[in-house]
Amino acid sequence: MTLQQQIRRNRLRSTIVVFGFALLLGVVAGLIGVALDLRLGLVALLGAGLYAIFAIISSRSMVARMTRAQQLGPDELRPLRRLVENVSIAAGLPATPDVRLVDDAAPNAFAAGVRPRTSYIGVTTGLLRVMPKRELEAVLGHEISHIRNRDTYLMTMATVFAGVIALIADIGFRMLLFGGGRSRRGGALVALLAVVGLVLAPYAALLLRMSLSRRREFLADAGSAELLNDPEAMGLALRRLQLDTTTIAYADTSVAHLWVESPTSRVESERRGVLALSSWFDTHPPLEQRIAALEESGGFRLPDRLSADAPFSVELGLA
Amino acid sequence: MLWLWILVGLLVLLVLLGALGYNRLVRLRNEADTGWSNIDVQLQRRGDLIPNLVEAVRGYAAHERRVFEEVTNARAALQRAGTPGQAADANEVLTSAIGRLFAVAEAYPELKASENFLRLQDDLTDTEDKISAARRYYNSTVMHYNTAIQSLPWVFVAKALGFRAKEFFSAEGDTAPPEVSFTPAT
Repeated sequence: MTLQQQIRRNRLRSTIVVFGFALLLGVVAGLIGVALDLRLGLVALLGAGLYAIFAIISSRSMVARMTRAQQLGPDELRPLRRLVENVSIAAGLPATPDVRLVDDAAPNAFAAGVRPRTSYIGVTTGLLRVMPKRELEAVLGHEISHIRNRDTYLMTMATVFAGVIALIADIGFRMLLFGGGRSRRGGALVALLAVVGLVLAPYAALLLRMSLSRRREFLADAGSAELLNDPEAMGLALRRLQLDTTTIAYADTSVAHLWVESPTSRVESERRGVLALSSWFDTHPPLEQRIAALEESGGFRLPDRLSADAPFSVELGLA
Repeated sequence: MLWLWILVGLLVLLVLLGALGYNRLVRLRNEADTGWSNIDVQLQRRGDLIPNLVEAVRGYAAHERRVFEEVTNARAALQRAGTPGQAADANEVLTSAIGRLFAVAEAYPELKASENFLRLQDDLTDTEDKISAARRYYNSTVMHYNTAIQSLPWVFVAKALGFRAKEFFSAEGDTAPPEVSFTPAT
């Protein structure tokens, strides 16, 4: 399968998922309507819609706050900006995304924004301190692929939708439990169905969100390999991330799917032993699988040892 | 009556498919055109840096006339180039001319240490990186566009509709970019 076909298929899936979310929202609102009050269902639907729109509009600054990404001054870290510029030219983006810095020792990066023109890339200081230029470029290529493939757009939507559904389901659930007999006119069976629906809906939304982001990680890896014409660089970068055991000090799980490597990976692997199903809830596929996919498509084997090239922070003059 | 309706249905379907396919070709062609203008912007920027560079070096090594001439001619040839292929060739010539200019500059430590020269050198390296990035994008758009107009059914009508194959931005001896094939592991 070529990358183009994969992107097309992925876009189709995205559309289906967005419609799925809309449907799920309708189902939850409908359940509230049947089990409690029709008007309440309509109000919930309307409120959820407005809340979603507000959340999408403010998502840019919200993500920045949740990841603690700082804006850079006009002359700060110019070599890094140039690198981003070059990769986004290779991707044919209409504008170069902004770069923001996250002061954190763990090497990681993320992309955020609804449209390509207003998107930005966040990198941690840890990433600049461990990655040599070639691998850093590959990581930037991964993030720019997310922007080019409209992943950031879809992920923002998915995050917002999942949050909205969880919120109204929660409100509905509470009302059902504590609302009193007045509104329970549908009988015991409907109430039971409503409870099941209300409990399951947020999990369905969460699952969709996770599987969405996992598939996209493979695609962004392949995108980076294509942009730089260097699949090995992406593989090397992932290997370096794999060997690094620092985790993000301030990891907000609600933005976990945005990062290049899961910021909470250690917690997740501990949980895996307890719950076999938990890999379904991971935001990222295991790094080993991602490296294997790159090796297969690029027709190479990664060397055992990492390169000893100087990290990019040296060129940037970072302390 | 029934066969008439079937015929009409088929015709409508055919027109619809044709319109979709045509729009796709237009989109691919536009992408390639955008890709080319990205390269053009960078080539222009590179060309604009060269007079300054020549002046900077001339201040220290006025007698190296042949190298200056070479660079100036290469720059003029690049600005005259009409097709992507010619531009790529001219760009190659310019690159090696600039290389010789820098080799001349090596002999003048004062020049090499001057802030103006260092900045020019930095800007030139940056433009070269950007040219090669823009070239990767342009070449991949051209590949998609060319593949589309050379495959069925468009191969028969593409030319009549004004879709002509585009040239890669690659100097003689360069190879087209490889298509990355990709299968997810899950």
